[in-house]
Amino acid sequence: MRALVIEDETLLREQLARQLGERGFAVDSAADGEEGLYLGREYPIDVGIVDLGLPGISGVEVIRRLRAEGHKFPVLILTARGLWQDKVEGLDAGADDYLVKPFHSEELLARVNALVRRANGWAAPEIHLGPVSLNTAAQEVQVDGRSIELTAFEYRVLEYLMLRAGQVVSKTELTEHLYEQDYDRDSNVLEVFVGRLRRKLDPEGRYKPIQTLRGRGYRFHA
Amino acid sequence: MLSLHARINLAALVVLVAFFGLTGTALDEAFRDSAEAGMKERLKGQVYGLLAAADEDASGALVMPDVLPDPRFSNPSSGLYARVRGDDGNLDWHSPSLLGLSLDPIAPSEPGVWRFTPLAWEGGKLLSVSYGVIWEDDKGRGLAYTFAVAESMGPLLGEVASFRRTLWLWLGGATLVLLMVQGLVLRWGLSPLRRVASALRRIESGDEDRVRGNYPKELQGLTRNLNALIERSRANQQRYRNSLADLAHSLKTPLAILRGGVGEHPSGPMSETVTEQVARMDDIVQHQLQRASASGAMGTVGSVEVQPVVRKLVRTMAKVYRDKGVDCRMQVAEGTRFQGDEGDLMEILGNLLDNAFKYCEGRVNVVAGPRAHGGGRTLLALSVDDDGEGIADEQVGLVLQRGRRADQHRPGHGIGLSVVDEIVRLYEGSVSIGRAWPLGGASIRILV
Repeated sequence: MRALVIEDETLLREQLARQLGERGFAVDSAADGEEGLYLGREYPIDVGIVDLGLPGISGVEVIRRLRAEGHKFPVLILTARGLWQDKVEGLDAGADDYLVKPFHSEELLARVNALVRRANGWAAPEIHLGPVSLNTAAQEVQVDGRSIELTAFEYRVLEYLMLRAGQVVSKTELTEHLYEQDYDRDSNVLEVFVGRLRRKLDPEGRYKPIQTLRGRGYRFHA
Repeated sequence: MLSLHARINLAALVVLVAFFGLTGTALDEAFRDSAEAGMKERLKGQVYGLLAAADEDASGALVMPDVLPDPRFSNPSSGLYARVRGDDGNLDWHSPSLLGLSLDPIAPSEPGVWRFTPLAWEGGKLLSVSYGVIWEDDKGRGLAYTFAVAESMGPLLGEVASFRRTLWLWLGGATLVLLMVQGLVLRWGLSPLRRVASALRRIESGDEDRVRGNYPKELQGLTRNLNALIERSRANQQRYRNSLADLAHSLKTPLAILRGGVGEHPSGPMSETVTEQVARMDDIVQHQLQRASASGAMGTVGSVEVQPVVRKLVRTMAKVYRDKGVDCRMQVAEGTRFQGDEGDLMEILGNLLDNAFKYCEGRVNVVAGPRAHGGGRTLLALSVDDDGEGIADEQVGLVLQRGRRADQHRPGHGIGLSVVDEIVRLYEGSVSIGRAWPLGGASIRILV
């Protein structure tokens, strides 16, 4: 998943980027509204974390403009004052949830995960598709009740495909959502990861949960 | 204190009464003097008439004829009486009108001297004039006589009384009419002041944000200064709020960084202390900032409609708690208003609804409406009910204390209800916590 963080305080922005990265997000960061708007328009963002107290263009204005331009990714707003007037303003502008500073990072990550899940149509943190179970909160994978160890990137690929179960996901889409903007991408690496995933989830080839659709991309079998 | 209208009317009444009183008195006196002067002239004329009618006998002494110049002299008790008396007693004549009546004897008058004397009499008041003459007989002797004519003052007094009645009637009527006209003129003249007062009432109730309209030049300075004061007050409030926002941002962002930093290294040597102290600082900052942001009744100029605020907040809660799928029913009486700051109302309702949505099983009811209070005030009565577990009686005091939550397991600041309590107290309102019926959970009722 690709996250956009717009926060003017450098230390906090770096902290958020680090925490989200450790959770498997590819993170694009901006220090002000102008840059945040640019990143939000340019890249396929899956979730946004926007500070309301930005210099220049306010966080509310950033959200308003992104929504007006048709960007539908869920947004979590961060507010220092915690006044209901600010929260309502942000949510009315198009945000989906809020957190008041200072917040616990676990809470932030839980809410971000919930937003991503809901945006893809999943109400609960656990996704069960055939023999495969994914717990997005705990980031655990089980097949037929057995825990499966995945690397961080393997987990990210699986999570992206399972959240869009039944939909065709192109390699380009996967690359754009799983890599940060500065990362040097190579779609062959993606094929290698998908291959590894298949072997870990379905070593005997019984279920074939991840289908390859030639020339189109991948699909997780719902 | 008397109103301006009453003061001016009272002053005008006193002035008018004094003016017309003095005028009436002067006119009355003038009329009476004029009437009396006229009577005196008539009496003098009567004396001249008698003198002209007087005759002399063979010896040249004065005799009075039987036929007198004024027929009233010949009618008994006519009201006009004549007497002639010789100073040496040689003549004592009176007109037939004095028949059966008596008057005080005539005192001799100096020749050529007129003497007017009021006489009190059984028949009323008389005005008498006496005039001394020297009558020369045929031997050339000068005989002194005094002619006296007396007339009843009844007609004169009646005329004066009639004039007086008419005078005071008209003056009284003129006073009333003038007072009424003055009242109307005052009403028209003071209407700009009434408009200013009405404009201020509309600003206070939130229907207007400044004094508008054209006013006479004497009031333009006042309205200009009022608008400037209102503008300055708003600007100061906005500046204050902006400063609070900046303060919040500058205090809470470093706290967020500290908390995040500890989160990344949870087993560090100071992590427990830092976590605890960050929580403490956060609580203090949050509480003090929210308290400082609340305007309260003292800072209030205006009112706000309650229904749009409730709708906005319920929409927000539905978004934030969408996984719960809460059924929220709103019942807000049409036109319900909160006499206070919109931000304060949002804090009260926001915290109550947040708690209700957080702790409910699936249903929340919001009811709001006006409640009449003593002194002509109308308060806002709010209640937020949920179908959760409710708040036990022994925990009611606990939840209103700052930073303490009855349920420590849910994420959040835990100061929501205490903030509500503080804001409501600023408006001299009340908060009560009980059991919701029929939902069965907690019911928070506010009167503010």
